[in-house]
Amino acid sequence: METRINRTTAGFALAAAVTAVFNTVLACVKDAYKPLNDFMTSLSGHQWKTHGLADLVVFVGLGFLFANMKAVGRIDSNRLINVLIGCVVAAALGLGIWYLVY
Amino acid sequence: MLMNMTSSDIILLAHAGFGVTGCLAALWVFVETLNAGAENAARIRIAAMVAAVAMAAAWLCGGYWYIHFYPVEKALILKGPWPFAHNVFMETKEHLFFVTAVLAFLLPIGTRENLYANSAARRLVLAASALVAITGLAVEGAGALIDHGAKVALLRGH
Repeated sequence: METRINRTTAGFALAAAVTAVFNTVLACVKDAYKPLNDFMTSLSGHQWKTHGLADLVVFVGLGFLFANMKAVGRIDSNRLINVLIGCVVAAALGLGIWYLVY
Repeated sequence: MLMNMTSSDIILLAHAGFGVTGCLAALWVFVETLNAGAENAARIRIAAMVAAVAMAAAWLCGGYWYIHFYPVEKALILKGPWPFAHNVFMETKEHLFFVTAVLAFLLPIGTRENLYANSAARRLVLAASALVAITGLAVEGAGALIDHGAKVALLRGH
């Protein structure tokens, strides 16, 4: 029984975790800092469209980057899964709390 | 009967329909992965692809509707008795959805591994598919609440 996740899967899982956190941070910063919101609007015509494209670029870009890093292949699989779950839960709660208080 | 449906209605319903399909496909991946074996490996990959494609379609339909049709509904909600339907639920939903979609895109990558012979990959796919289903259902629920925010605004004459 194999107990290691291959580097491509591990790389994209790590990229998904980073993207989840990036997504929440970008949502908060663009709301709090209007010039960034305006800049994002100017790039695609709508800030939400730019936000989604930025998330995709981060996910795909980091996914390929991490998939080519030998160190990623050595990450303990349980730790990787915990990082993914932790980042998604923190990102989701972060969004909810931000919009509740903002 | 269907003649009364506008393009806005069709796009919105397609958005919700693709979203539910993506959640169900993620749940399908989860259940099949719990019982991963050589005989259902192809089925897991098909379910993962269905989840990813459905979420991409939900993104496109929802994004188009949000940009082109939502501003009118948003103004209505904000004038009505449930402004939090936009301020909290729509704002959270429109950003949380990106996480759901990215996790759904991870599923076809994770299911390329032989899950029946790799316990670590199996746990990762279980975690990712569960997260897609849970966050996806949260997004669906928020959608219903936003819709109700518009409804109460209309019913109370705003």
